[in-house]
Amino acid sequence: MMRAKLFTTVVVGGLMLIACSGGGGGNDAAVCQNNCTPPAAATDVLTIADVERVISQAAAEASARNQRASIAVVDRVGNVLAVYRMSGAATTFRITSGRGVSGGLENIDILPDTHAAITKAITGAYLSSNGNAFSSRTASQIVQEHFNPRELNQPSGPLYGVQFSQLPCSDLMRRASDGTVGPKRSPLGLAADPGGLPLYKNNRLVGGVGVIADGIYGLDLDTTNVDQSVDELIAVAATNGFAAPDDIRGNRITADGRTFRYVDAETLLSNPAQAPALATISGALIPVGGYFDGTIRAGTSFGSTASGYRAAATGDASLLVAQNAFVLVDAANNNRYTSRAGTDGLMTLLEATTIISEAIKVANRTRAQIRRPLNTQAQVSVSVVDTNGNVLVIARTPDAPIFGTDVSLQKARTVLLFSHPNAATEIAALPNITYLGAGGNPVAGARTFAQTITATRTFFNDPAMLSNGIAFANRAIGNIARPYFPDGMIGTSAGPLSSPINSWSPFNVGLQLDLSYNAIIAAATSPTGDTAAGAVGCTGLARVKNGIQIFAGAVPIYRGTQLVGAIGVSGDGVDQDDLIAFLGLHIAGVALNTGIGNAPKHLRADNLTPQGLGSRLRYVQCPVAPFINGNEQNVCEGL
Amino acid sequence: MQVAPSPFLLQTMRLLLLVCAGAGVMEATAFSPPALTSPRQWAPLPADEAEPIVRSRAPSDTRAPIKYPLPPIDPTKVDAPTPMDIRQSIAVPDRWRIIDSLGFKFPWYDPYNHNVWKGDKPFAPFAKWLDGKNNDWFLALSVISDSLIETRRLPTPVGAQSSARADVNNVFGRGNQTAFVETIILSAAVIKGNTTFRPPDYEFRFAPAFQINHARIQEVRGLNVDPRQGTRRTDQHFGVQELFADVHLRNVSDYYDFDSLRVGIQPFISDFRGFVFQDVPFGVRLFGNRDNNFWQYNIGYFRRLEKDTNSGLNDLSQKMRRDHLFVANVYRQDFPLVGHTTQATIIHNINRESGPDYYDRNGFLIRPAVIGDARPRNYAVTYVGLSGDGHFGRWNLTSSFYGAFGTDERHPIAQRAQTIRAGFAAAEISRDFSWLRFRGNALVASGDKNPFDGRATGFDAIFENPQFAGADTSFFIRQAVPLIGGGGVALSQRNGVLPSLRSSKDQGQSNFVNPGLTLIGIGADADLTPRVRLLTNLSMLNFIHTSSLSVLRNQNITSRNLGIDFSAGVQIRPVMSQNIVLNISAATLLPGKALKQLYDEGKRGPQYSVLINLVLAY
Repeated sequence: MMRAKLFTTVVVGGLMLIACSGGGGGNDAAVCQNNCTPPAAATDVLTIADVERVISQAAAEASARNQRASIAVVDRVGNVLAVYRMSGAATTFRITSGRGVSGGLENIDILPDTHAAITKAITGAYLSSNGNAFSSRTASQIVQEHFNPRELNQPSGPLYGVQFSQLPCSDLMRRASDGTVGPKRSPLGLAADPGGLPLYKNNRLVGGVGVIADGIYGLDLDTTNVDQSVDELIAVAATNGFAAPDDIRGNRITADGRTFRYVDAETLLSNPAQAPALATISGALIPVGGYFDGTIRAGTSFGSTASGYRAAATGDASLLVAQNAFVLVDAANNNRYTSRAGTDGLMTLLEATTIISEAIKVANRTRAQIRRPLNTQAQVSVSVVDTNGNVLVIARTPDAPIFGTDVSLQKARTVLLFSHPNAATEIAALPNITYLGAGGNPVAGARTFAQTITATRTFFNDPAMLSNGIAFANRAIGNIARPYFPDGMIGTSAGPLSSPINSWSPFNVGLQLDLSYNAIIAAATSPTGDTAAGAVGCTGLARVKNGIQIFAGAVPIYRGTQLVGAIGVSGDGVDQDDLIAFLGLHIAGVALNTGIGNAPKHLRADNLTPQGLGSRLRYVQCPVAPFINGNEQNVCEGL
Repeated sequence: MQVAPSPFLLQTMRLLLLVCAGAGVMEATAFSPPALTSPRQWAPLPADEAEPIVRSRAPSDTRAPIKYPLPPIDPTKVDAPTPMDIRQSIAVPDRWRIIDSLGFKFPWYDPYNHNVWKGDKPFAPFAKWLDGKNNDWFLALSVISDSLIETRRLPTPVGAQSSARADVNNVFGRGNQTAFVETIILSAAVIKGNTTFRPPDYEFRFAPAFQINHARIQEVRGLNVDPRQGTRRTDQHFGVQELFADVHLRNVSDYYDFDSLRVGIQPFISDFRGFVFQDVPFGVRLFGNRDNNFWQYNIGYFRRLEKDTNSGLNDLSQKMRRDHLFVANVYRQDFPLVGHTTQATIIHNINRESGPDYYDRNGFLIRPAVIGDARPRNYAVTYVGLSGDGHFGRWNLTSSFYGAFGTDERHPIAQRAQTIRAGFAAAEISRDFSWLRFRGNALVASGDKNPFDGRATGFDAIFENPQFAGADTSFFIRQAVPLIGGGGVALSQRNGVLPSLRSSKDQGQSNFVNPGLTLIGIGADADLTPRVRLLTNLSMLNFIHTSSLSVLRNQNITSRNLGIDFSAGVQIRPVMSQNIVLNISAATLLPGKALKQLYDEGKRGPQYSVLINLVLAY
């Protein structure tokens, strides 16, 4: 009875939305409680003068602190507008979590300072939106082994693993050679080192600034104290005049009652408003191969063709147009991911389009977790892939944070990879990697991929694991890709996809990094920013070209018991991501009536209890009070 | 989530106090002397030529009164008067044993009659050991067994990283919970003093308590932070609820008005109904009375003890909390009118618990509470209160008014210092109609409108145990409901009425950024028979400002309507005393819109609880 009732509710809800949007000319104003279609006004861009001002304000604060900083400014879609190095600034930096471990990216100190600055600037821009301002310190809080960091026995951060997205080897991310079209790749993914902040004009997100002066690319291990991070203080000065509105900063936004860290200290030694002109400062713009040509330029207007994101229009899937979705475009304004049928012949065009549009529909009535004002709709990116990992369609709601573009695709491909019967074989066959450390010298500690597969099978006590057709949602993959299992429980051993806790850090997470490790190092040390001339792909696995992602928000798509693809969602809250993927797919399946839908329950990973009581994997978790209108609860029950 | 199956412990403690109250002046309940073996000793000797006994008739009866002429005295049937009755000359050890010398014999275990173990008669060894001559040392022992079975349905979250079952796709899980709790409380008091009318000279009391509790829920990670611990938990604790010495300093009047000093772990209650503080902390308390008990006063310093998480008993194995109370209060009887006592109080609470993180025994971070930025904090708050209890004619009235003023050095939501300005008012009016008592209740606890500003205007207590609006029969007061999805705090605390969003009433810090509450209710108590009392209560509950809830959930809680709390209970006292008391009650919270926005009320049905509680006291 309950299932039937819920089903009715969901379907009727979906129909109502269709009815509303059909009559109202597109935007469903009833559920869109924020500026769902931000006008791409010309004032909402960083001008060259703005960029210069940001840099000079940073430099003035750095000088006041007797620091020498490298500063990068990017626009919302990651175009590097300037990279500036003050005279005397260190030209390299060291990656360290401060946990005293080695392996992964730990202790690497051969990369140019500009990479750190660009990565931090992109982090400030990509994690933020018009409804939330997050910093690289925010990122630090949500990628550690506990959330909050140091809160004993708590599960890991909600965006655990997001630091390895936006990678330079990603097939989705754009390069400097693509002109102004975003989203642009980031040299090191996303940064957890304080000193990366978003930039706003007229309360609209226009970009980010990243600073490195202390030579350390680390993170905030203890969020209970108040740091005096020089990188962050300089960045705070840089944002003068472009600061995030108070009300949308991370420290006003909660996840499970916890607010996010935005910045720790804001007491400046300089007066940014009186910062000297850039020309009078001792320093120089620094060209960065593959990112910045040495000349300051203006940012793009987000939502314009030049930014690579625009509203779906005639020529795009009409269902997406009806849902006020945005799509990704190239410089010629062509949709980069026009809906298509699966290249494997397992999913039709209509199915792919219906799935993504139903997901967007769910998003349009879902309450955002990490967005203010309260009760505004979730803004997310959604990707649908076929079983080869090829993109069938990507779309998003207008103000979704940029990071979710790549992450939604990573998530979709990750659940596809792990649910695919070839997973074990393909992963185990990958060539070994060698970690680097100080001086770029090899250090021990990397597991072989075959060892990871063996460890996984031992962990589950199932020699067929990862080739037996278990349906892994990304939440379940996350469960076994943490340094403790069950997640966060101190004293337990690591999940099989994670590095062990005594060598673990956010720079050495295990399989996720290992898969992309060689590509990340190659790109970061290359003068062109590329792994090899024209090479695309991070992992050597065709299904996960842009690297895997290991936090919740994706489910595999099935037709009966056959895997036919996957849907990944990323944006305003991980439970919301789960809801939009899982419920969107369910509703689409009901509407299509072609047998397509979520994995059969008996195949789902939440049947697995590898270590007995209390070790059951989760499949998805839909949020409390998920919808803006109405008080429905537990909307994913029984689906 | 904590499921602290703390029993009717405070009720039990009150009972303990009642049973032990002024041991040595034990009320002679149901005292009936046995038949005399020698009636001749007592038979009155009629005077010679006595008048006949006359019995008048009813006023409407016009006949003459009835006369019973007495028979003449027969000298042969009457003993001659004895100038020195041998019985009156037998030496008795003390004046309390006169009755023994008269031939009254009771079993040693009989608590209803004079009993040396109950402080009715001096305990002879004390005189020998302690004093040597003054035989006024008493020993009072008691034991209480408190058994509880409680079943309920509360919002219960699914384990974050692991679930109890497959196919669980939401945050709210199955909510049936059961608790079994057995508590044994022993009490031993040593008292010196001729205690019938004047206060004792010394009192030493020790009250240890042992509890074993067992809880069952349906989701993992509710009872313990570790999902591998499953859905059941058995725990036990030995706590010390009283351990004090009381020294009678002096008498100040012929009415035995006195000053007394009490040092140690002792009960203290802030007002008549325990709205701000009712606990058994460590303390030093000077108290006494004046003007033939028209005035009473307390001046005290208390320091709170750490509580055992699952039993709620004092835990002396842990360091005392850095939470201090300075108290001064005065009670005035018959003010403003005869039959009504008025109390004025000032309580200054200093909390300095910004030290290391504190985790409870189930592994959850309690201090600081996990809300906002969860950074540690100190606060200091002064409560100024005026309370009354008594009756005006046939109307009974109990009331309390408090203002809370202070500073919170850094609230985790606003992430800045807060000026605390909060208020509280509660009143219960009742009237008895023979065996029926009808009650009306009203309560207002101020709420915080803007969690981000520098003013904290939500009222919170120090350690409330409100005897109000149905108290532990009521659902909202009785049950702790976690604010699922809103951090490590509870919407309501066990045995608490304030929705103060604390991590734990027992172990957490006060929180003055909360939604506040209004309660309007009615109730009736019916003494159906001397053995059976029926209790009913209905309360309408509303938040005052939901903005703090909204921030913690990042969800706009648009309604303030919390719900209607309905409870009914029956109290059975089979021997018409407090020695055997059986309480059975059921309560439910019919959800208002605000509760539906917060929890899965619509899916599971309303929250409820059913309790069976048996208290045996000796």
